[in-house]
Amino acid sequence: MKRLLSTLVALTLLAAAVPVFAETTLEKIGRTGTLTIGTRRGSPPFGFVNKSNEWVGFSIDLVEQAIKPVIERKLGKSIKVEKKESTPATRIPLLTSNAVDLIAETMTDTRPRRESVDFSLTFFVTGAQFLVKKGSPIHGIQDIAGKRIAAQQGSTNARIIRERVPGAQLREFPDQPAAFQALAQGQVDAYTNDGIQLAGLKAKAPNSAEWEIVGDFYSYEPYGMAMRKNDSDFRQVVNVGLMEAIESGKYAELYEKWFGPKGEVPYPLTPENKRFLQMQVAPK
Amino acid sequence: MSYQFQWSVLWSGQSGSWLLQGVLTTLGISALAWILAAALGTLSGALRTVPWRPLRAAAVVYVEFFRNVPLLVWMFFWYFGVPPLLPRPVQDWLFNHGAEFWAGMFALGVYHGARMSEVIRSGIQSIPRTQFEASVAMGLTTFQAYRLVIVPIALRLIVPPATNESLNLLKNSSVALTISVAELTFQTRQIETYTAKAIEALTAGTLIYLVLCVSIAAVMAWVERRFRIPGLIARGG
Repeated sequence: MKRLLSTLVALTLLAAAVPVFAETTLEKIGRTGTLTIGTRRGSPPFGFVNKSNEWVGFSIDLVEQAIKPVIERKLGKSIKVEKKESTPATRIPLLTSNAVDLIAETMTDTRPRRESVDFSLTFFVTGAQFLVKKGSPIHGIQDIAGKRIAAQQGSTNARIIRERVPGAQLREFPDQPAAFQALAQGQVDAYTNDGIQLAGLKAKAPNSAEWEIVGDFYSYEPYGMAMRKNDSDFRQVVNVGLMEAIESGKYAELYEKWFGPKGEVPYPLTPENKRFLQMQVAPK
Repeated sequence: MSYQFQWSVLWSGQSGSWLLQGVLTTLGISALAWILAAALGTLSGALRTVPWRPLRAAAVVYVEFFRNVPLLVWMFFWYFGVPPLLPRPVQDWLFNHGAEFWAGMFALGVYHGARMSEVIRSGIQSIPRTQFEASVAMGLTTFQAYRLVIVPIALRLIVPPATNESLNLLKNSSVALTISVAELTFQTRQIETYTAKAIEALTAGTLIYLVLCVSIAAVMAWVERRFRIPGLIARGG
């Protein structure tokens, strides 16, 4: 038993010490001809499965139409994009284990996360709000003490609620559908998530008019695409892809497609956010 | 590009108290579910061997229905399916008092009860028929023969597979995180959320499960030795 244990410990140390295959992400993409992204199946309109059963979304379009061409230009060959499901709990391990190269979904750029992964430019800005049944006494974060609040496991919102309103009864679900089911049945009084996610959920809900998104943004949620740490060449092409899209109007076109009046989730781009996106673009 | 390990995330900040809470919740839900599973399992396992068809049939229905539906579905069933059948004030009271814990407990207990039932049935059926006949010949009723002779022997016989089931139950309690029970796996994910250090958090969770399981196995091995009937059951390893 003792020998077994020491063998195990030795193996673990060895695995930790040996740098795993010193290949950059661009080299990997060049070798395999594939950019593997982690995205969502249930977060409309960033990544979701639509009515005709296709896996689509705003984040996916950004990768396929803005970032992929820049990688192809850089590598001088065409590549394909492969999608894998990622969730808040799995996305960082998926990246660090090389299972995916880029997380393109609804991941908020935070300082602790930057200790583990690198982020692209911010490609979307939102903040946390609450989804409630129409006529609910909850109108924002000031009303939730003692109330049962659903949140998504591993999200920044749950963390903020725990710190700011310790009296709220937090119930954390692994995915959006379960949290929404709990809200619909009264297990919880409100569901908190990023405003845009709630808008997506509300738009997709069977009785859309029964639900209401309430409260001012109680958090700042800048979405970025995440990649493995210390791989600045790859990060550069991802950022150039996003910058070129913002500059050329491609971003605006995709935004209109998903968030415009006829889009999946109507959510107008505020002049403030538009300006913020433009200011991230470094000059040519 | 290799991953930067930072083990201190496991004891700095609130991680320690979260892990402790997680362990307590896991142990609590597993212990209660185990009692339920053992009771249901012993009852239905015994009923499946009694010489009266309707009782046998009822036990068969229970076992086949509950063990053949995935545990995840049972979690949702007890959490989302059962409460709407209750009056609204009762629902509200439950939701304010840890409904998810009790739903998870029932899901685990009833599911593993069905699996435990088969273990107990195999124990009972491995006892020679003559044992039962001898008990009845001594003047015991069927119920007494089961209570005083058959079940006590069967329970001793099935300790090794029952240990297996118990460990499965403990590990399966992690499925309860899908209905927001803040058990051990949930807490390791929580640490990951706060620190973005997934591998450290998962390692801590793995080691804790390992320690819990090895301890349970040791207790069960002690039970096996302590309660064996000399001469009746071959000595254990």
